[in-house]
Amino acid sequence: MPEIRSVSRRLLLGGALATTGALAAGGGASQAAAAPRAAVAPPRRPGQTSMIDVPYPAHRTVRVGVIGLGNRGSGMTTGWAAVPGCTVTAVCDIRADRAKRTADGLANAGKPRPAEYGGSADAYQRMLSRDDIDLVYIATPWEFHYPQGKAALLAGKHVIVELPIATELDELWDLVDTSERTRRHLMLAENCSYGRNELAMLKMAHEGLFGDITNGHGGYLHDLRALLFSDTYYTDSWRRLWHTRSTASFYAMHGLAPIAAAMDINRGDRMATLTATATAPKGLADYRARFVPRGHPSWNETYVNGDLVTCLIETAQGRIIRAEHDVSSPRPYSRINTLAGSRGIFEDYAGVVSAGGGRIYVEPDHSGHSWRDFGSYRKEFDHWLWKKIGDDAENNGGHGGMDYVLQWRTVQLMRAGLVPDIDVYDSAAWCAPVPLSVMSLAANGRPVQIPDFTRGAWVNLRMGLDSRTTEMPPVA
Amino acid sequence: MRPAGFIGSFRAAVVAGVLALLPVAGATAAEAEAPGDAARTKVAISTVDLDGPAISTVRVTVTNAGPDRMRALKVSFGGPAGWAVQPSVLQVDGSLARGASAEATFRIQVPERRAGFTVRTFTATTTYLGGDGAGSATATRTQHSGTPLASLAAAYNNVGITDESDTGPGNYDGEGNSFSAQKLAAVGLRPGEPVTALGAELRWPNVPSGTRNNVSAAGQAVALGGTGSRLVLLGSGVTSGASGTVTVYYTDGTTGSGSIGFPNWSFDPANAHGATLVASSDGRNRPSGYGNAGIAYRVFAHSVPLDPAKTVEFVVLPANGNIHLFDMALAP
Repeated sequence: MPEIRSVSRRLLLGGALATTGALAAGGGASQAAAAPRAAVAPPRRPGQTSMIDVPYPAHRTVRVGVIGLGNRGSGMTTGWAAVPGCTVTAVCDIRADRAKRTADGLANAGKPRPAEYGGSADAYQRMLSRDDIDLVYIATPWEFHYPQGKAALLAGKHVIVELPIATELDELWDLVDTSERTRRHLMLAENCSYGRNELAMLKMAHEGLFGDITNGHGGYLHDLRALLFSDTYYTDSWRRLWHTRSTASFYAMHGLAPIAAAMDINRGDRMATLTATATAPKGLADYRARFVPRGHPSWNETYVNGDLVTCLIETAQGRIIRAEHDVSSPRPYSRINTLAGSRGIFEDYAGVVSAGGGRIYVEPDHSGHSWRDFGSYRKEFDHWLWKKIGDDAENNGGHGGMDYVLQWRTVQLMRAGLVPDIDVYDSAAWCAPVPLSVMSLAANGRPVQIPDFTRGAWVNLRMGLDSRTTEMPPVA
Repeated sequence: MRPAGFIGSFRAAVVAGVLALLPVAGATAAEAEAPGDAARTKVAISTVDLDGPAISTVRVTVTNAGPDRMRALKVSFGGPAGWAVQPSVLQVDGSLARGASAEATFRIQVPERRAGFTVRTFTATTTYLGGDGAGSATATRTQHSGTPLASLAAAYNNVGITDESDTGPGNYDGEGNSFSAQKLAAVGLRPGEPVTALGAELRWPNVPSGTRNNVSAAGQAVALGGTGSRLVLLGSGVTSGASGTVTVYYTDGTTGSGSIGFPNWSFDPANAHGATLVASSDGRNRPSGYGNAGIAYRVFAHSVPLDPAKTVEFVVLPANGNIHLFDMALAP
């Protein structure tokens, strides 16, 4: 009986690709990748189905509820209110004065005054009971993202969560399953995936300028020492306290996600194994010794999070991603954004600013082993979102306009009833290195398996951030 | 539809949710065919929708034209480098009778259409037992869009010739060196003047020294009308890897191709890559001025055969920046 079947790369290469590759990445030790309990996909409940390629229901207006009104949340609230067809209907913070201040700010700017919630740790639950919220944006300390995200899904809202959506593997799985059961989308507010250079890099990868992509590097290298020791910037010093209790690569997603997108992770490839290394935690203690007065609460703290946590991730297609996290060393800012393949390489944060900040070398355009400016390529491969709303973005949002592009696009997707660019599977995969780095480090750098949150659907090509030009529905 | 010629019932296994190899009665029309006579296995690739960014579907049809049943058939498909394809290989368990066809469906990630002239080449390869006994067959499909550059001069992108009094603009080799205009003139290579090579009359770039005066090849499409027995290219190489494929597009929609290569402008044997020496100039211009006297810096010619019965419409240069071209022309 004739039968057609695909021939997997694993079979063609003799099997055990991911495992052997992971071992090579891990330094050649003859050890198999460890499989954490939650690395194995739990069975779906009866009736539970994937959210891949599921469009948002079309919304005439997107009504946003905001949880967390610190530096990030309050700034983003202004951005949400600036997007055509988007209204902030409710705001919430455990500190009620922040909710009032944010509501005042919107009202003073001529926007509808949102309802205020606050004063208690569970105030957000009351906000979620409202029936005039379509999208919940969460910008609280990391430890609250998972319970608040899940609660929002269960309340029937779509959810967009600041980094990370959760910090444990079972929490990530629970968010995936809760999204599938509630038929509501949850996405990481990964603004850097909408960065102008990152999107151009993605489009260049899809054009084939780099040939077959073999490796990429990304990360979050941001000297946060002064902010971490500030008594006002991170409420109750929540972010610094994470450095006292976890060895994780907390926040590499800003650099990891654009590389993952360029490799079509969850769209034909997937991250299979992770190996982590960490330097000694020196930076925060050294900074404290030099700049923080004795008697400051931080002097009772011991920092355990390595200054530079590096994750080497091997994909099912044999690619390598190096994802770095360092917020405690003196250095200029970088997300690295390096992508390389059989025909060339792009490096961000290495070129002249006037040419987009990147540099490039691709055959056959270039020869002679010398870097070229990125400028002409950035112009040619500029994403339609930046062509369309780039000026608005730079006027309305932080981080060079990335925030506004993320918000504008999210609202557009919801209003037009389109499939999200970033879904819960992407979000879970990008955040998985948070717990997996801890596991690998605890095992002296042994490779650990990365869960397939798509439950096998990663093999299918599908659209993502490299989207087709779409109009924002007109505002009535 | 149950195909004639399949042994037993054909079971179309769904792969990754959307993929199937479907038996069909015959090859679809308007598709590329593998070269060969009537008894050879035929492989055809359907038109690829290039309106990206999108995931496009491509059909590959394999027809067993050989005398024996075709067994262990595998079909692979690929597009331009870096374009993701799902899956990369499909295989059929069973056999295909003489005259029967099978169709494999692939999905390919198509990028946004690029401005300017683009050529996209797709390749399908089959391996099998039986059939025509060849064991494998391949088809390519080339689709292009945009308008070729009007002339090679319009593609000039490199300053390879400078005056000895002003060597600064030169960068023929990526290290700031260039040909000396004076020394080229001494061996007969002067701006706008004819150069005869391999039976063709070419012309030395008619632009001032120190300006863009040659093309570092990067797959540019250049208009070149007329007929002839071969296309002659005048140029020289940097590094030792200055070789690649020239593709000629005829007005009837067909194409031809040939490999060319040039020795390094200085140190390779003069016949490397099969090239023919045209002229040797003495020394070169360096960023600091003229130098390397006593060392020859050379210009070569190479050619690719043409179908003399067809009219050339345009030429796509090799995608290799180590190849530098000063002119190209048709030889009778």
